[in-house]
Amino acid sequence: MERSDIFILCIEDEQEVLDAVVRDLEKLEEQFPIETANSAEEARQVVEKLISDGKKIGLIVCDHILPGDNGVELLIELHKDETLHSSRKVLLTGQAGLDDTVRALNEARLHHYIAKPWTREELLEVAVKLLTDFVIEEEENILPFMATLDAEKISESIRTRRSISDE
Amino acid sequence: MTPVQTIGLLLGLFGLILPFLIPLGSLSFAGQIGLGIFLMAAIFWMFEPIPIYATSMLVIFLQIILLSSQGPMFMDAKLPTGEPVQLQENTWQIPTQALKDENTVLVAVEPGVTEAVVVEIVERNGQHVIVRSDQLSTDKAIVTDTGHRLVGYKPNSYTDYIGTLANPIIILFLGGFMLAEASVKYNLDKNLTRYLLSPFGSKPRFIILGLMLVTAALSAFMSNTATAAMMVTVILPIIAQLEPGDRFKFGLALSIPIAANIGGIATPIGTPPNAIVIAALTDYGKSISFTDWIIVAAPLVIVMLVFAWWLLLTFFPPSVDKFKLEMKGKLNLSAKAIGLYVIFGATVLLWVTENQHGIPSSMVAFLPVAALVTGRILGKNDIRNLPWDVLWLMAGGISLGIGMDKTGLAVWMISGFEWGAMGYVTLILVFGLVAVAMSNFLSNTVTATLLMPLVISLHTSGVMGDSFNLLITGVVIAVACSLAMALPISTPPNAIAMSTGIIRTKDMAKVGVIIGTVGVMLILAYAVFYWPLVTN
Repeated sequence: MERSDIFILCIEDEQEVLDAVVRDLEKLEEQFPIETANSAEEARQVVEKLISDGKKIGLIVCDHILPGDNGVELLIELHKDETLHSSRKVLLTGQAGLDDTVRALNEARLHHYIAKPWTREELLEVAVKLLTDFVIEEEENILPFMATLDAEKISESIRTRRSISDE
Repeated sequence: MTPVQTIGLLLGLFGLILPFLIPLGSLSFAGQIGLGIFLMAAIFWMFEPIPIYATSMLVIFLQIILLSSQGPMFMDAKLPTGEPVQLQENTWQIPTQALKDENTVLVAVEPGVTEAVVVEIVERNGQHVIVRSDQLSTDKAIVTDTGHRLVGYKPNSYTDYIGTLANPIIILFLGGFMLAEASVKYNLDKNLTRYLLSPFGSKPRFIILGLMLVTAALSAFMSNTATAAMMVTVILPIIAQLEPGDRFKFGLALSIPIAANIGGIATPIGTPPNAIVIAALTDYGKSISFTDWIIVAAPLVIVMLVFAWWLLLTFFPPSVDKFKLEMKGKLNLSAKAIGLYVIFGATVLLWVTENQHGIPSSMVAFLPVAALVTGRILGKNDIRNLPWDVLWLMAGGISLGIGMDKTGLAVWMISGFEWGAMGYVTLILVFGLVAVAMSNFLSNTVTATLLMPLVISLHTSGVMGDSFNLLITGVVIAVACSLAMALPISTPPNAIAMSTGIIRTKDMAKVGVIIGTVGVMLILAYAVFYWPLVTN
């Protein structure tokens, strides 16, 4: 499997929880390198570094309770950055209230809400679905992602978009 | 750009100027330019430093600049001629430069055509030569500079090169592309698949047969790639029902690209290599109707499909008795969709019955072009979404062929080899094997583009004698190009199937090599026994 330049960013202040998230997404890591951050501030630095290196962020998995700015605020702020508009955003939390969640939905175009505790299957399924949407939307050559992501959806997109033609 | 692409870029540019750096014997100046363009294009198509359609566009650009009568190279060129000075009866004084070699002089007959006249040198006299010949006369203009760039070359108008994009065969494909575009938009391809698959029941071996026949039938009218992508969405749910270690899934996943590749052979619009071959044949008075192509190609397609089916079942026998093949969907019955069904049906009917009514298929192709947009079945965005890259790829291929023929390059390339000694049957076999081998690594269209000019020059030069059949040899090239499927890079359907991660490269290679080899033998048998009966 070839490493792509599409990253997964996981933001979580509790190290054990962060490790669990990374472990659950391990299957994807070969193709989508995972970056982690323990706070909103660190997340900003990671994002800046990746973007200036010409990398893309395909998926952001974010906890709500963070030191400093909370997860929803961070997601809203990141969404204002145009390079992150199509990045898929997941809120992974047990403590975000309805108001915060609605804000995240409206202002950060939140793609998915996962309540803690989560299962590996659930997280992986969401990540695969969202990354599939991301590569279909953003990538010119989507063939390399078929084996890891949703092959049926990618084939369907080749059929309708004709991104590959006879030669 | 990868290192390989960089090497390809440099090699290609070197190829463009190479013909001017080495002596090439009898090749004319225009032939040298043609050879440079040919080398560059071939190398670019192999290494792909730029996309293959971009190479095609570049070919047309270089041809209009360097080879056309309006380009800077030939814009003001005029063949230098003069009248020989008569000294006595049959004794003439001519400029030294008019001597082509020790004993020939060229007489200008018409633009691009000269006639060699044998002379006997009597005396050399500085700038002039006195020769004896009974074939010269004062009203025959002799070429006074035999090395001039117009000797043996009459440049085409640039419109001949850019006009390839409106070549009838390209218009035929345009019609096919628009039908395919509309079919995908209104899910006609999926719904047809659903209906056509239902009679094949639930037994694995018949499901595979059904999948292959439907894939081939669709890819005969639609792009092989789009068909394969659609069918992959059909087989993935079946594969999900299998045990993880079940080898039957290899056969299932391989059946789609194999059938899509083979299906393209069946009609003229099935796949781009057919266009390259048909365009070249048409230029030499061997046009082949839609109906005749099907009569020629379909029996081979059916035999190959059945063989491939047997091969896959032998290598990867079904492990279960039954499958659930569920395809959801509903036939679209909106007014526009029904309009599409009518246009689709009428067009295909008119195409396959070309022999009965005699309306050329390229004219019929304008029915879907005009009707689909008139009925607003396709909109502006749909037209922008057409595979224009494929049309340009084919146009560039046709254009390269025109240039190779007109500059004398193609004839020069086949000279120096005793083709006649090979025999017609051996020639068919060699062309078939070479086409399959090349096409496994190169684009099928590019392979046809590179080989077709050679076939044409074997025809025009007459070196193969009377046994040579231009039409059949052309068909051999087209069919062989589509039978290359041993590698993931061989065709886009192969690439899609391989990308699912289900198949292993070695399985694809094993099956692909067998299909290619058996395919060439079958081509040979058809070329000797069947095609002579149905072509003239």
